[in-house]
Amino acid sequence: MYTNTTGHTSYTKIQWVIMETKDLHATSKLRHLNKLRWLSLSIVFIMLVLLPFIHLYQTYEAAHAYDLLTPTEKLISDTVEGLTSPFVNEPEELSVVKGNTWSGTLFGLKLSDPLAVVGQVMASLSLYWPFIITAFIPVIATLLFGRIYCGWICPATLIYELNDSLAAWLRKAGLPVSRRKLDRRIKYVVLAVGIVLSMYFGAIMFGSIYPPAIVGREIYYAIALGGFGAGAVFFLLTLLFDLMVSRRGFCRYVCPGGALYSILGRYRIFRIKRNVETCNDCAKCNVVCQFGLDPLQDNFGMECNNCTACIAVCPTDALTFTVNTKDVPFQGPGHLGHKYRKDKGDKT
Amino acid sequence: MKRRNFLQYLASSGFLAMLNSGGLQAAYSPSIRYLRPPGSHDEKKFLSKCIRCGKCGENCPNRCIKFFSIENGISSLDTPYITPREQACILCMKCGDVCPTGAIPKIEYKAEPIMKEVKMGVARVDRNLCLSFQGKTCGVCYRACPLQDLAIRTGMLEQPHVLDKCVGCGLCERSCIQIPQAIRVIPKYNG
Repeated sequence: MYTNTTGHTSYTKIQWVIMETKDLHATSKLRHLNKLRWLSLSIVFIMLVLLPFIHLYQTYEAAHAYDLLTPTEKLISDTVEGLTSPFVNEPEELSVVKGNTWSGTLFGLKLSDPLAVVGQVMASLSLYWPFIITAFIPVIATLLFGRIYCGWICPATLIYELNDSLAAWLRKAGLPVSRRKLDRRIKYVVLAVGIVLSMYFGAIMFGSIYPPAIVGREIYYAIALGGFGAGAVFFLLTLLFDLMVSRRGFCRYVCPGGALYSILGRYRIFRIKRNVETCNDCAKCNVVCQFGLDPLQDNFGMECNNCTACIAVCPTDALTFTVNTKDVPFQGPGHLGHKYRKDKGDKT
Repeated sequence: MKRRNFLQYLASSGFLAMLNSGGLQAAYSPSIRYLRPPGSHDEKKFLSKCIRCGKCGENCPNRCIKFFSIENGISSLDTPYITPREQACILCMKCGDVCPTGAIPKIEYKAEPIMKEVKMGVARVDRNLCLSFQGKTCGVCYRACPLQDLAIRTGMLEQPHVLDKCVGCGLCERSCIQIPQAIRVIPKYNG
């Protein structure tokens, strides 16, 4: 079966080791985190689509003019009423969830993007504490997990990841999809320039170039106000940028929010670590990482968005979350890999 | 002029034009007439405080709050505004309740605080257009006003007279039966 120069005996032995470790670690629950992440992303996105409809329903109810609605409006009103009537008595009560991921209310808890706070403080040059504390929970989460917002909540991430799947399909179809590497420090320049421009104009500039803010807002415009605004064009351009210049290029190289989260998550407490004893150097993690990180060389850095795709794809469960404020330095080739065995002089 | 210089000149002048026309000037001398949501600070402070989250529009039961695209300059991009002739503010003050940044301050839903804090503009009557001033009794604007006899009073033949308590909600402008409207709200940023 394995008639190559290394000799089939050693090859099958590695296979056996892999199968043994697989049996040992088959109970690792971490590989399901990626599914959980997709669930979280989907829930956020579905909420962003539902909220404008809920708002429309509330306005119909507030107008007390059901008979004057057009058939489409009646359909919206009836559907939302059917969906929500088991949970609330009055349409007014639906206001407990409002807004979007840029700034929103979740059952009385006001949450805002830290980037919104930074931009607003710099634009107005004043501190409005009721607003600043709304970013408290996201900042804590970022200090613990790094760019977890990017991977788990950001509504644009859902579209960008689907866009990345589209890129894979285009590649299979023979169309050239570029995967250029740019300098990831560009996004810090974008963040700095955005802050300077916000101060110059006296108005926050991030809301117009920050994909999650754009997506939440444009979904509302399209459903409740009847048409996309200017941001939709910009968002389509970022999708094209991802397809034609660099894989997930906007998140990696341009996004000012990503830059802010990367800085905050520089010394994050929880991070993914490669377990060198069970790694077999298959490099699947490097291929699957959309942010172009290098798990195989223990190089996660500031950018990791905890998407856990590498954990899900790892055949030997060598990647786990650990508590450590720094990445470990390169631990050498994986102990189940060819190179490690060759270096040790293991000829069996 | 070399082509490279020309292109550089073109790009830099375009950038400067964008900075000046779109950014600073348009916000303070707009070519379009609009109102900010009730209770908003003056234009400069409002723009610096608003984070363009759109919650005010999402909470407006009257659907009068709309959002700028790029027509009013880059500074106003995605900020809320009201066109009173299309849909005027009913002064429910729900936008101020949800505004996270205080760009639209929280104001109690009562006549006294509303009259004290809200100043979106002032209504102005055009006597050449107003039916009542032409001898045809109308009085629709007076009927539409939420602050009757405080913000507007009627004289002979229901002729409207705007008083200084007018908050500029625009309900009179929306209700005016003349085309074009004989009463309109002059936004406060126009002085």
